[in-house]
Amino acid sequence: MKILAFDTSNKPLSVAVVEDDKVLAHIESTEKKTHSVTLLPDIQSSLADANLSIDDIDRIAVADGPGSYTGVRIAVTVAKTLAFTLNKPLVGISSLQLLAANGGDGKLCVPLMDARNDNAYSGVYLNKQGEVVNIVEDQHITMTKLLALLQKYDEDKLEFINATQRLTDLIREKYPDAEIMSEEDSLPDATKLAKLAEAAEPVKDIDSFVPTYLRLTQAEHDWYEKGHKDDGNISYVEEV
Amino acid sequence: MKKDTLILSFESSCDETSVAVIKNGKEILSNIIATQIKSHQRFGGVVPEVASRHHVEEITHCIELAMDEANVTYDDIDAVAVTYGPGLVGSLLIGIMAAKTVAFAHNLPLIKVNHLAGHIYSANFVTDLQYPFMALLVSGGHTELVLVTAPGEFHTLGDTRDDAVGEAYDKIGRVLGINYPAGKQVDQMAAVGNDVFDFPRAMVQEDNLDFSFSGLKSAFINRVHHADQVHESLNKDDLAASFQGAVLDILSNKTFRALKQHPVNQLVVAGGVAANQGLRKRLKEEIEKRNLDMELVFPPLRLCGDNAAMIGAIAQIQFDQGDFADLSLNSDPSLDF
Ligand SMILES: [Zn+2]
Repeated sequence: MKILAFDTSNKPLSVAVVEDDKVLAHIESTEKKTHSVTLLPDIQSSLADANLSIDDIDRIAVADGPGSYTGVRIAVTVAKTLAFTLNKPLVGISSLQLLAANGGDGKLCVPLMDARNDNAYSGVYLNKQGEVVNIVEDQHITMTKLLALLQKYDEDKLEFINATQRLTDLIREKYPDAEIMSEEDSLPDATKLAKLAEAAEPVKDIDSFVPTYLRLTQAEHDWYEKGHKDDGNISYVEEV
Repeated sequence: MKKDTLILSFESSCDETSVAVIKNGKEILSNIIATQIKSHQRFGGVVPEVASRHHVEEITHCIELAMDEANVTYDDIDAVAVTYGPGLVGSLLIGIMAAKTVAFAHNLPLIKVNHLAGHIYSANFVTDLQYPFMALLVSGGHTELVLVTAPGEFHTLGDTRDDAVGEAYDKIGRVLGINYPAGKQVDQMAAVGNDVFDFPRAMVQEDNLDFSFSGLKSAFINRVHHADQVHESLNKDDLAASFQGAVLDILSNKTFRALKQHPVNQLVVAGGVAANQGLRKRLKEEIEKRNLDMELVFPPLRLCGDNAAMIGAIAQIQFDQGDFADLSLNSDPSLDF
């Protein structure tokens, strides 16, 4: 199965074309570039590197969040439009699961995205023989809560992935000897995304495929705080 | 005989997701518009992050409906066009990424369209445009007088120095307790009220063609607040009529000043505020009063708001001129002519 996989959830960009266990093309960037500008040209060059046309691709794989709202939307929009317009299967993989795929075999991986003010997007995954199994679901969580939640696991099995300096400091306060993966090794890798997507179920309804933000917008949050409720009959977007 | 051109066009610059199939820039085969108004009404105005999220929810469904309604396949399509500015960056990006993806997937040329040019060319579905023509572009984001000298050649003669006219409607609408977008209801109230408050007509006497609505807006708000303080009750229809009276004086004054400097045969009024019945009536009366032999062009109501059909109309000109973009196209949120 030939898979085109890409991730622009955060600052790095990764695009890959993978067939079974062979990486046919792989483009990565960690420089500060604009994903909206580079993603399609990078997909185009990946296919050229792999000597394939987009029609040869059997499956589209995308990291569908959480992450930078705009970053995730860019990749998800391209992925769903591509899958829709060419009638190809689409697979969405958690951007945190993709980071967890960098962890060692047998490890309980804790992928992290710094969400500022000592909050993070995180979850817990068990890596075993190439599988990355979700143990604690992805969530937006304070570091205090996250570290408390990790208490029940064997410290020696934990591996923290993609921690910023601030998150590293917070982890070290509780676990001075914690295994924390270097920033360089933590980068999302689209070849691993393709591998995860190969085993996953394609989405059933491409139209309703959207990013997993894990957070309401501030405006919606405030609106619900004021006691408002959705009227079950109201559709917020209407064709006119 | 010249072959027909079909352009698949995208518009997502604010709170409408729209996809259309346009034939030769003149004929609408489909024009799907998904509006988010009900969502943003919860917050009293467009919230950019909410808008971006809705665009992702809607985009492929809109493409599907546009293609189905036009009864075409990708083999029939000659180019893909998309609004790249001005607008909300997060909103623009969804249309841009989707349009680039479709262009890439089906190996079609890509055309980047200025949203303002799109609004002006919504008139192309109503009449045969004769150059040069004058355009008064009035919407929630823009208030401009533009002289169009040749296909796709725009010269801005006047612009707003502060609020856009539609924005002013929304702001005074809030004071009157009208939910966003307020334009239609203020227009209806103005029709039954009387202009008794004599609000200022900013810059009507000055010799430039720029607009300003902030003085009017402040005068309006101050008048209402003053009445609240002294427990005086004001007639809301009269307030609306007085506000709209001042707006129409300003718009009409500047427009006919521009027409005096640049005589043309057509005046195109475009953008969301072009739906305003008071404005339609006023401009018609002014033309008759001045005995001008000039066609007044208002797009149908459905084409006044944001829509992808208008993007396909201007894109046809760019297609004929060979003005194409590539897959690195980015948004330009503050794009002007
Ligand atoms: Zn507009």
